[in-house]
Amino acid sequence: MEGKSEELEGEMEVEAYRRLFPLQFYERHLSDSVRPDARPLNKARPTSIVPAPLPSADASAMVKIGNTTMLSGIKLEIMFPSSDSPDEGCIAIDFHMPPICSPMVRPGRPAEAAPVISQQLNNVIMSSKLIDLKELSIASGKAAWMVYLEIYCLDADGALFDAALLSAVAAIAHLEIPPVCLNEEGRVVSSQGQAETNTDNNGNTNNSNTEKRKLTLGSIPFSLTCLLHKQYLLVDPTDEEESIMPSLLTVVLDTSGHLISLYKPGGPVLAYTSTTKNCVALATRRVKELEKILKEALSEMDVIEN
Amino acid sequence: MASKSGTISTYSPLFSRKNPNFTNGVRSDGRHFHECRLAFLRTGAVNAASGSAYAEFGNTKVIVSVFGPRESKKAMMYSDTGRLNCSVSFTTFSTPIRGQGSEHKEFSSMLHKALEGAIMLETFPKTTVDVFALVLESGGSELPVIISCASLALADAGIAMFDLVTSVSVSCFKDDLVIDPVFEEESCQDGSLMIVCMPLRNEVTQLTVTGEWSTPKVHEAMDLCLGACSKLGDIMRLCLKEAASTLQ
Amino acid sequence: MASYFRRKKITFWPCGFRISGDTIVLAAVYGPKAGSKKNESPEKASIEVLWKPKSGQIGKAEREYEMILTRTLQSIFLSTIHPNTTTSVIIQVMHDDGALLPCAINAACAALVDAGIPLKSLAVAICCGITESGSIILDPTKQEEQEMPAFAYLVFPNSSLAVLPGTPPLIEGEPVEHGIITSVTHGAMSVDDYFDCLDRGRVASAKLSEFLRKNLAQSQIPNHSSKAS
Repeated sequence: MEGKSEELEGEMEVEAYRRLFPLQFYERHLSDSVRPDARPLNKARPTSIVPAPLPSADASAMVKIGNTTMLSGIKLEIMFPSSDSPDEGCIAIDFHMPPICSPMVRPGRPAEAAPVISQQLNNVIMSSKLIDLKELSIASGKAAWMVYLEIYCLDADGALFDAALLSAVAAIAHLEIPPVCLNEEGRVVSSQGQAETNTDNNGNTNNSNTEKRKLTLGSIPFSLTCLLHKQYLLVDPTDEEESIMPSLLTVVLDTSGHLISLYKPGGPVLAYTSTTKNCVALATRRVKELEKILKEALSEMDVIEN
Repeated sequence: MASKSGTISTYSPLFSRKNPNFTNGVRSDGRHFHECRLAFLRTGAVNAASGSAYAEFGNTKVIVSVFGPRESKKAMMYSDTGRLNCSVSFTTFSTPIRGQGSEHKEFSSMLHKALEGAIMLETFPKTTVDVFALVLESGGSELPVIISCASLALADAGIAMFDLVTSVSVSCFKDDLVIDPVFEEESCQDGSLMIVCMPLRNEVTQLTVTGEWSTPKVHEAMDLCLGACSKLGDIMRLCLKEAASTLQ
Repeated sequence: MASYFRRKKITFWPCGFRISGDTIVLAAVYGPKAGSKKNESPEKASIEVLWKPKSGQIGKAEREYEMILTRTLQSIFLSTIHPNTTTSVIIQVMHDDGALLPCAINAACAALVDAGIPLKSLAVAICCGITESGSIILDPTKQEEQEMPAFAYLVFPNSSLAVLPGTPPLIEGEPVEHGIITSVTHGAMSVDDYFDCLDRGRVASAKLSEFLRKNLAQSQIPNHSSKAS
């Protein structure tokens, strides 16, 4: 294979070479410290957050990292708190890969990656203590908020987890809890507009007021996926890169510098201490970048609302 | 850890149904009866697909991806003509009350029937073209938007068609005809009519009527829809031209 | 087929402590069978993992374990030896008392060796937990796992026994067995704590791999004649 590719090289078009000998194609780029999309190895793709694209959801955000596009939406519903934690709400996170996002996904045959990323998101958001579940309580033991956070992949082009996490935290950061109160039957009703009558004779409601309130967030987790190949370390891989060189390492750090997750699911390349340290250092830099992008997007959201 | 979800029963507290009111011939969103919503169309929304389009009509937002022509499923019999496979699904947060997010079988088959007549299937024998739609937000008249958006995506993918397919629906309220209805209007309409047509060829590929209609009303509604369809066709053509000119 | 009991390894542990409660996982290997999986290269051998929970249906967590296990085994699996075949590893959870994934990886590895599948090296899995006070404990029970603020599952290759004289070559200044095959963490910890975990995990995995090697060597000899091909 190796020898044959050398032979053919001279007389082959670039696109054909890329298709037939993808690994050799990439290695020739990597040896010059550049990637086929003209990025240096340690540079992430341009990242943007579209604030609140869906007015009908309680909160939403769309994130683009290069071509990878994620749309997250939050729907709030009421639940009965469980008996072991009567003053806590709940958050349910789900990640979907609908067939529109990639030629690999077909209806009725869901993508293998979807439940894995879903589980990873759950783990990271719970581990980071981003949301205090007590803040989701409406009336202790009677009612609490259930936050349904769903992330849809609209376009899959690598580093899916990074984009999914960013869109999830952007939606959570933007979430506002609407004012509600309990009625006589123990059901929760919206107290918007009828606030005066309800707040007076409802002594047993807590956390119900007439204003929308934002959640107080803990330190926010951000992630960076690195691709390991031989001695090279590629940041923010595209789908093509992921399929050719399968060793990935995802570092999740929060804004206070804690390590939330260091995720390396196998792969032929082993991560040694120096490589791991490099990845953490790159992630630290990326966290600063993403924090700034998120902050700008949130202030933009506030401008839209007011 | 609070990952134990799914089994917990929950309800939405904030859903209050708004009834549409028509005062002085003006609808709740400020439109006149025979006025369509502002439309935004863009091709090439999804890079992973062969062709794609994004459509936004008021609050109704739809993405359609087209894949192929590609190898048909192994179980499929040999076929001289190409196959068309359509699937429509909604996001769970698209509707005012949280939905299930599964495939909408009825819309899938309606979309298939609407597009089938316009595509030159004989140009890609033995293979399948997949048309997948995802409704990001449903603000009424989803199906007409999905159909128009799908034909735009097919054009973006370079699939040969006789003409662009456009679609518009009309709601009937006693004596009034309301074009391009929003969610609230659709939920208390007396009847609805949807036309799918190829405006340049002046051909109708699909016509659905529900509810009670008198013959003159049907005629009036059809004229209204066909007029709107040809305008929508012009907008879509413009969108394709723009996309092509930016490429050069 | 090989089952993996925690109790077995406790006696060899540098900081062996607990006797109560065992995680038991049964791993069975079938194959190599003809034909490769869909969407995989027919020029290579593929490996698939089926995770059977103790009870109930397979959920998201199990799907994730399945994926991690598949990728971990792929990294030690010689995919060029039997092209166009599939080797199936079936993991049946008998009892979960913490560190389930590391236990399953060790069991799968032992089962692959038992089945005579050639491997690059063994994968040695370990769970390191970080307590509130910042100290690191190895192989926590389920209760400890839940109470601890953070823990990490780490998988390393075992040290190679070379016939060549001299010390084995170093990669990036470290021996091969220090490279991470798989790392999965839960909970928030400081970066230094993680690297502490790595060091502890490497020491423990060295002992564990010694134990595995000894045990596998022993079990191969008497079983040889009784084994059905």
